[in-house]
Amino acid sequence: MSTESTAILDDYKYGFYTDIETDSVPKGLNEEVIALISGKKGEPEWMLEWRLKAYRWWLRQQEPKWAHLDYPPVDFQDICYYSAPKKKGEQPDEIDAELAAAFERLGVPLQERNHLAGVAVDAVFDSVSVATTHRETLAEKGIIFCSISEAIREHPELVKKYLGTVVPYTDNYYASLNSAVFTDGSFCYIPKGIRCPMDLSTYFRINALDTGQFERTLIIAEEGAYVSYLEGCTAPMRDRNQLHAAVVELIALDDAEIKYATVQNWYAGDKQGKGGIYNFVTKRGHCRGERSKISWTQVEAGSAITWKYPSVILEGDYSSGAFYSVAVTTNKMQADTGTKMIHIGNHTKSTIVSKGISAGDSVNSYRGLVQVLPDAYHCRNYSNCDSMLIGSTCSANTFPYIESENHTAVVEHEATTSRVSEDQIFYLRSRGLSEEDAVSMVVNGFAREVFKQLPLEFSVEAIKLLEMKLEGSIG
Amino acid sequence: MTGMTIAQPEKIDTLLPGLDNEGLARVQAETPSKLLQEKRAAAYADYRQLAWPTVRDEEWRRTDPSLFPLAEMQRLPDLAAQDVWTAHPWDAEFDVVVAVRPDGFAIRHQNHTARELGITVLPLAEAAATRPDGVEPYLRGKALPTPSGKFEALNDAFWNFGLFLHLPAGVQWERGLLVRYEMDQPDSLLIPRLVVVAEPQSRGMMVERLQSPDDIRFMAVPQRELYVQEGADFKLVSLQEWGLNSYQVSNDWGLAERDANLNWITLNFGSARSKMKFGGDVAGPNSAADMDGIFFASGEQHMDQRTLQIHSSPDTYSRLLYKGAVKDVGRSVYQGLIIARPGAIRVDAYQTNNNLVLNEGARADSIPGLLIDADDLKCSHGSTTGNLDPEQLFYLRSRGLSEAAARRALIQGFFEEVIDRIPQAVIREQVHQHIEQKMES
Repeated sequence: MSTESTAILDDYKYGFYTDIETDSVPKGLNEEVIALISGKKGEPEWMLEWRLKAYRWWLRQQEPKWAHLDYPPVDFQDICYYSAPKKKGEQPDEIDAELAAAFERLGVPLQERNHLAGVAVDAVFDSVSVATTHRETLAEKGIIFCSISEAIREHPELVKKYLGTVVPYTDNYYASLNSAVFTDGSFCYIPKGIRCPMDLSTYFRINALDTGQFERTLIIAEEGAYVSYLEGCTAPMRDRNQLHAAVVELIALDDAEIKYATVQNWYAGDKQGKGGIYNFVTKRGHCRGERSKISWTQVEAGSAITWKYPSVILEGDYSSGAFYSVAVTTNKMQADTGTKMIHIGNHTKSTIVSKGISAGDSVNSYRGLVQVLPDAYHCRNYSNCDSMLIGSTCSANTFPYIESENHTAVVEHEATTSRVSEDQIFYLRSRGLSEEDAVSMVVNGFAREVFKQLPLEFSVEAIKLLEMKLEGSIG
Repeated sequence: MTGMTIAQPEKIDTLLPGLDNEGLARVQAETPSKLLQEKRAAAYADYRQLAWPTVRDEEWRRTDPSLFPLAEMQRLPDLAAQDVWTAHPWDAEFDVVVAVRPDGFAIRHQNHTARELGITVLPLAEAAATRPDGVEPYLRGKALPTPSGKFEALNDAFWNFGLFLHLPAGVQWERGLLVRYEMDQPDSLLIPRLVVVAEPQSRGMMVERLQSPDDIRFMAVPQRELYVQEGADFKLVSLQEWGLNSYQVSNDWGLAERDANLNWITLNFGSARSKMKFGGDVAGPNSAADMDGIFFASGEQHMDQRTLQIHSSPDTYSRLLYKGAVKDVGRSVYQGLIIARPGAIRVDAYQTNNNLVLNEGARADSIPGLLIDADDLKCSHGSTTGNLDPEQLFYLRSRGLSEAAARRALIQGFFEEVIDRIPQAVIREQVHQHIEQKMES
């Protein structure tokens, strides 16, 4: 495996590669590879069977082509479906020094640190989860926060009960693929009436060349429970495209609340559009209980191709769903992202706020569905999708689908597309700000409604990320 | 958005009786002009190659094309100019009236205005035979902003009623043209083709009224093409009142050149099942398009409308307002798209779709869209779907109106914004009556 030097790192500061010994399965996908992955994880028989069922289903499916995206076909046989750093330490609990250093550079503290004491972190490196912090504190409250592989071994009854109930393995092409080969991800269970005392966080990193990352996250909030979950992602800079196909399932029972925030900064390819991550993700929350709440907040700043629609199924009466998104595309990036709000229960509410920013030669599309089923009474939806254009060669599209099948529903949708306001820029310039600072300030104002949904540390990070992304795209 | 396989619906057989090689030969024999024969032959080649749309096509996902009884319809032979005239109370409002019936059509000048202004209202076949050079440029499908589909090709090859309207440069035609269709032949297929050319700086207007009785099954596949040239201004009002057993698939296109104004009002009240597509291309700098629509689906009606606001030039303007109501188990689909082509800067485009869902069982889908490939522009859309505002109802009730009267007032008020834009009082009155009838039924 070649070592890519960290000197090429220019604007993508997470583009380094860590040279560590890995334990991988051969490239390609077949039932043997799946059995091998399952074996490496020490999974029980039922899990392997489920994976194989998913694989067989996947074989019969075709890749979806409806998105407003243009990319060469993915060779699913040219991907390594499992890669794990080899453990060197004697004790399994000790984190490998090189790995720890890699996460240190990413700003993820594995050993509990004072300034970020409020966040419990599960870090996933390529295909396996390497460490989970703050476990004892959480365990006292009965909260389970561990890697999904561990959950399959330690809490099979919970996994069996909930896995695939929100996103079944038959859901879509990439979800089927994920169900067959998923390697790691987080599992989180908040028992009845418990308010999780800290934010939970997972950090995903693709390190090895030609590997795909297929993580699976499952979060269950029992009656009256509350949890806020943060997800961050990065990858090294490489010339080749890499695949990331994750599945995230959230389940909220009566009066429970789940807040899920993502700052996605996978490597997006260089200025010519070479390399970068293909991000094909299925994220869905299920408000099963009455008065339950699920909110998705995402800052999508990376990936060469994004195909992602975090959704909420509002089944419990009086439940509510929210989607706040900032999607930034620059250079040759393409994003087709949005949400689905499916109103099944009575008096369900949903809010959609999507801010798209396109620069360079990028294509940024919002695609969303608001559906009110015939026997869902008194539902309410408000959607607002704004797009901002920076530069003359980018494009911004909006494709909202509104299907109201109940006469008591009130559904409103608004969208605008415009360029960065020249008046605002002029005003800021007259106050002595540089062109770049002025644009950055306007853009931050534009995305503010979404940023304020993020926890403080993430919000600061997200603003910086946006500034970094848009550097050099003005003029 | 799932990757699940949807069962392939039964396709309408590619070559339908009468719309096949033999059918074409018959049509060609009826066609006097060599130019039109060539056009029909070319369109037929396309028609044969294109596949029938299925519910797997995004545009038809909500309106199953296999539910249109095209295969069971008999294409009417080419309609010829005949004395099929019957008087109509609206005739007095217009300078020229065209009455179309299953057995022929009649063009009648109510006065000398149109002739004095040099305005041409001719059957398309006659226009193509007598002045091929004047018609040919407009038969190229130039106004077509998107590639031709199966139904467009079908119309191009098999149209059985064609009309050519030509306004010379600079004329101001106030009272315009009325084309009224009174189709009462069961299981017949009408394929109207309309070509309108408004030369530079001219101004004109036309109204279409489409009628058939409720008790017969009938289908229409119209195609209208409007060429609004430099500085011209043209308005078309289309009142669709087909009977409740009628079907329609229409494809309409408008092209506005520099400084031109294109104004199109569609009023959909009739038919069992209709699919309408209208594309307006503001193709020259400083051109503008206004598109307004009313649709009201009651009983078991299904109405699907797709609009395209295409900005292929800088400094262009478009505004769209479609207002619809659904009642009983009626269903409506509105799909709109604003397209800003690369380089179309300083564009101002707006699209609004408001839907009233009046009772349980009715359904309205709204799919507004933006496809923007340029910067320095302002494009937006707004969509609302809901029932009447209970507070407004309460207010009217508190003023002594009955529940039914209050509902009627609010619904009429809802549509008034569009009705106001209809130039003729008789048509405004007719629209009010339709809404009233639908509320009572």
